[in-house]
Amino acid sequence: MKVLDHLEEWFIASLMGLATVIVFLAVLHRYLSGMPIPGLQDWLLSLHFSWAQEATIYLFVWMAKFGAAYGVRTGIHVGVDVFINRMRDKNRARFVLFGLSAGALFTGTIAVLGAHFVWDNGAHYAIYHALGFDLDGLTTGPTTPDLEWPTWVIYLAIPLGSALMCFRFLQVEWAFWHTGELPRHDHGHVDGLDEVTPAAVAPGTT
Amino acid sequence: MNGAILFGLLVLLMLTGMPISIALGLTVLTFIFGFTNVPVQSVALKLFTGLENFEIMAIPFFILAGTFLTHGGVAKRMIAFATSLIGHWYGGLGLAAVLACALFAALSGSSPACVVAIGSILMPAMVKAGFPPRFGAGVITTSGALGILIPPSIVMVMYSVSTNTSVGALFIAGVIPGLVLATMLGGTTWWRARKNDYPRQPRASWRARFKAFRECIWGLLLIVVVMGGIYTGLFTPTEAAAMAAMYAFFIAVFVYRDLTLKDVPRVLLQSANMSAMLLYIITNAVLFSFVLANERIPQQLADWLVGMGFGQIGFLLVVNLLLLVAGNVMEPSSIVLIMAPILFPVAVKLGVDPVHFGILIVVNMEVGMCHPPVGLNLYVASGITKMGITELTIAVWPWLLTMLVFLGIVTYWPGLSLWLPHLMMK
Repeated sequence: MKVLDHLEEWFIASLMGLATVIVFLAVLHRYLSGMPIPGLQDWLLSLHFSWAQEATIYLFVWMAKFGAAYGVRTGIHVGVDVFINRMRDKNRARFVLFGLSAGALFTGTIAVLGAHFVWDNGAHYAIYHALGFDLDGLTTGPTTPDLEWPTWVIYLAIPLGSALMCFRFLQVEWAFWHTGELPRHDHGHVDGLDEVTPAAVAPGTT
Repeated sequence: MNGAILFGLLVLLMLTGMPISIALGLTVLTFIFGFTNVPVQSVALKLFTGLENFEIMAIPFFILAGTFLTHGGVAKRMIAFATSLIGHWYGGLGLAAVLACALFAALSGSSPACVVAIGSILMPAMVKAGFPPRFGAGVITTSGALGILIPPSIVMVMYSVSTNTSVGALFIAGVIPGLVLATMLGGTTWWRARKNDYPRQPRASWRARFKAFRECIWGLLLIVVVMGGIYTGLFTPTEAAAMAAMYAFFIAVFVYRDLTLKDVPRVLLQSANMSAMLLYIITNAVLFSFVLANERIPQQLADWLVGMGFGQIGFLLVVNLLLLVAGNVMEPSSIVLIMAPILFPVAVKLGVDPVHFGILIVVNMEVGMCHPPVGLNLYVASGITKMGITELTIAVWPWLLTMLVFLGIVTYWPGLSLWLPHLMMK
């Protein structure tokens, strides 16, 4: 379980960083290759960054699907909780459990629908092809416009991410059932405020 | 009829306290399964294609940039600069709080984080200088909301995504209203301080001012990178956001040294967490507005309202009331994503300018965050000031009233929002 947690965190943080670097490099490339620097310009013009935009979108979609699962664990998905928070503990607990089950139900349904979709969209063909099975009546799925990857690989984010999210909802529900505790995200968290003293506020004004 | 079922179900599910994204998704699934012939399989695909839009990707980049700069060190620099500049006027530290909030909120993009960062540094200082705690609490709770009006603003990106309005125009349109609101909040602070003769800070020397300015200029240049990049056409809004993220990383790690390279993975994870939550709401909201459009509900609503003889003035009043109520119980991004697709066609039909309408919605979100009984900023402020919500409500009212007056001005004077974008984007 710990391994899965770390893998998940590491995965979404890398996607975030990678997307930023790609767009940064693509913009840099666009402007640098317009400058007449001998040697460098030819080399830059031989590189193509036309795929950067598409790659960024896919990186972020994967980040979003798996990050949403991570978000269940950190309690960042908030709802309108002002009414249930005024209820007695027992009633509130019922609503919390209902909400978490609804989350599991929705993500579970999407995982199944997504899996069907991916299967019909080329995964069926690719897997049978790789295993050397009979390919009668099966077609290859479409590919993406710039990267020319099969779309079913990209769309795999939906079933995988949703399944993980469903699992996280059940995990949080299980923990709430046994301990009565929910993960909570602190929206007002700011780093670097610990050592602050009033005297340090306005240097130069005293 | 279908519209009533759709909204009834959504409100019912949301009131149980489940995540807004889940409530949206379940509503759509139930509706498609039970009341239409749309194949359910298309939902899964929509969940993916709803995000296949490079404009939306500005959101994670802006969040990343904000997270790099949401740090006590940055807040301290903004406060030092603001205090050195206007600290010697009436209510000096209070005015400095307004200015520091405006600067910091523009960078961090998060209202609650701004209330905490500026509040936990300035509140003790203000109490020590002899201000009543309520005064400080009122200033900081309301000024913290300035962030979503001053660009770069994530709520504006949300609006632009759901209504196809230009992000650049919205950003530029937010500048003047943002400055006006900051001035009005500052004016209220100054007037209250003068009336009660609250303490003033000693006047800072120009040398000290320059030193404080040089310290905080690196952070503020982020706004220049974004606005300048978009306005001159160097970058698209999304590229500008990515550049801002890179710039923020460079400033935080190598110039300010508030963070070390070791902190970077943690910052990435935090921003990924926040962005994924917002993107998840977006995907489900896209599904929801797909169903709305499929049922032609916005058009029906528009026809009905026009048929009832609702004019622009009446419509905008209703929109304001609706958004203020919603702003109290939900966070701004969700409201914009749910409400904008419904209200926007009506607004356009009644001749409201799309950019003006966007600014109006954003200002509503700001007021909603500070509005009792349950605005988010109130809760966060109550945490750092150790005041109850009731006491904070009393503390906040002069500034809240100012904001409501401002909301009226923004609503019925489109020129305030539209003058600058028309001037710059001819």
